[in-house]
Amino acid sequence: MQGTVAFTNDSISKTELPLLSQLKFESLSPAYAQANRYIDLFSTLLLISLLYIIQLQSFYPLSQEVINIFRYVIWGVAFIGALSIFYTIFADKRKFYALREQDLSYKSGLVFRKTVSQPMLRIQHVELKRGPIDRRVGLAKLQVFSAGGALHTFEIPGLPLETAETIRQFILDHKDVNHHG
Amino acid sequence: MDKSVQALNNELESNNSQPIQDLQNTQDWQRISPIAILYFLVKFITGILSNIVVLLPMLYLGYDSFMAHPHLFAPVALGLLAVIITSTFLSFYFFQYRLNQDHIEIRSGVISKKYVNLPFAKIQNVKLEQPLYYRPFGFTCLQLDTAGSAKQEAKVVALKIDFAEQLKKEILAQHQSVNSVSTNNHDDTDNNALPHEHVDEVILNTRSIPDLIIHGLTNNRIWIFLGGLAPFFDDFGNYIIEFFQGLGIDLEKVLTISDKPMWQIGLYALTLTFIILLPFTLFSIAGSIITFYNYTLSKVGDRYIRRSGLLTKYEVTMRLARLQMVVRQQDWLDVLLKRINLKFEQSNSGINQFQAGAQNSRIIVPSINSDECLALINDVYPENKMIDIAYQRISKRFLLRNLGFILTPIFLALSILFITIDKANVISAIVPIYSFISLLIYMRWLRWGYAKDDNFIYIRKGYFGVDYYCFPIYKTQQVQFKQSWFQQRHQLCSIRLILAAGAQDIPFILQDDGYQLLDNALYQVESSRQSWM
Repeated sequence: MQGTVAFTNDSISKTELPLLSQLKFESLSPAYAQANRYIDLFSTLLLISLLYIIQLQSFYPLSQEVINIFRYVIWGVAFIGALSIFYTIFADKRKFYALREQDLSYKSGLVFRKTVSQPMLRIQHVELKRGPIDRRVGLAKLQVFSAGGALHTFEIPGLPLETAETIRQFILDHKDVNHHG
Repeated sequence: MDKSVQALNNELESNNSQPIQDLQNTQDWQRISPIAILYFLVKFITGILSNIVVLLPMLYLGYDSFMAHPHLFAPVALGLLAVIITSTFLSFYFFQYRLNQDHIEIRSGVISKKYVNLPFAKIQNVKLEQPLYYRPFGFTCLQLDTAGSAKQEAKVVALKIDFAEQLKKEILAQHQSVNSVSTNNHDDTDNNALPHEHVDEVILNTRSIPDLIIHGLTNNRIWIFLGGLAPFFDDFGNYIIEFFQGLGIDLEKVLTISDKPMWQIGLYALTLTFIILLPFTLFSIAGSIITFYNYTLSKVGDRYIRRSGLLTKYEVTMRLARLQMVVRQQDWLDVLLKRINLKFEQSNSGINQFQAGAQNSRIIVPSINSDECLALINDVYPENKMIDIAYQRISKRFLLRNLGFILTPIFLALSILFITIDKANVISAIVPIYSFISLLIYMRWLRWGYAKDDNFIYIRKGYFGVDYYCFPIYKTQQVQFKQSWFQQRHQLCSIRLILAAGAQDIPFILQDDGYQLLDNALYQVESSRQSWM
């Protein structure tokens, strides 16, 4: 069923094209994975300790039944927390970005791998986002908007601030050279 | 032909240098015609009505205490009236606009002030909207959309039709001059040929009432309707039984199945279905006629103009360069009746989905036959091969994934569950559901195909109906390559091409083909340097 018709009419031979399959990917900042692990760990611990405090406090004593349920809930939270920590450890190792003259790419996903490529010519505006933790560890998230809509915002998290600023400048310079939207 | 077409034609016949000078002179802030009070009034009332769900509990709670004090009726009603009148008057009073050096500025808002400044060159789309109550006075609303966010859009609420037409022409002319400067030299000849000339308006398509009735029949929205009504089915059923009892017919007796021959039951079922479907179908037909009455699709130069509407008349203008994707749509009933809905999709990233009439910004040609459809598609994209090109089907593993790994396990798990809890008879109910969903998945696979030539990517999709999508490759905004472990083992992938008119997916194709489609798309975007709008 394959290979019958679709691609015979191509004027550009396959080898001439710049290939997505041969992108040179670069890793995100190691601080990003580290920060994510800590965020996961601390949010899990915070949630568990909150649940404990609710269980132990004496202002509004809980009935025995609720306390029994609470025990399971706490174990459940701990289990999910541990899972998510393991997941981020492996998933963060598989996030990469690539920069070419004409486009940006970002690859992510553990089981379902996804590579998003954004041609610079179609970029409408660029944003750098830095939350409190990003600022603390000197990271930035690069967001790129196209006319594809807010649902398809291209973003690269966990870039060192200087890299993010360089990429942003690169995009802006690119736009300056070519007046297209 | 309606008034606005005549106005436009008159405009085109007369030399246009004089009116444009007039336009330039309106540099002072000016108020619109007082007729706009009517518009604000209607808007205020529809605003209240659309929020009625929120107000209902309040009304319900207040009802008793309100009924206890009947002497309050008059003052409350008067107060309400006063609020409505003052607020509509103030809305009118504070609505001002001016035209200044190819910019349009609009000031509006009573309490929260709003100011919009739009350069003509940034305006993506000009729409004229003529509500019923404007028609005797010859006024119209001018709606201006930009490519950017929804906040940026502007509406001049009441303009004389002639003036609105002039303004529209001015804005669109501005576009052409800007574009011919900034666009590359490939199509210089085109651009030189187009601006400032006398191109007559060519009517490409009109729709008659029978066409619209067919459109109403085939494009029923009643299923959504029925879904929303589901909670009330019980009450509704009781009501119907009572109604028939009132007529002296014992419905329950009539419908007791055991003592009737099969054909009679079948006939009952059929009649009942028809009785239930009839009003909804009629609603759907009425909706179709209200929206598309007096439909014309015409063309002036590179602009496509859609005019239609029974109560509120809409006029949507789209420049060819703004077109993102052509969609040829056929539901299963359309396939039987050999009718097609053709849609010219524009950028929809900035359009607010919840805004009334948002669907009016795309140009849709309802229920045309295949010859008309072909003519229109070829008029828009002459070198496209949407119908003739051979589509390549997606991999059979699409079936395996959805049937084998998702649907069947769920079905088996449910079956085992029902057997273990001793309710095996439920299985007879879920088997038809299982078979139907399987059939849907199979049809989905059968329909899903893609093709590509030098300029376009074509996608075919659907279940029992069939939809064709076609877009110029250089209009791509972003591409996505997706691959799961499972797909990687079989050298398959799924791709997604994001356009300003939405995302298009092609799942389960060969990895090499996927890469080639995306590499080529990026190459065309980056090397042609053509603007997407």
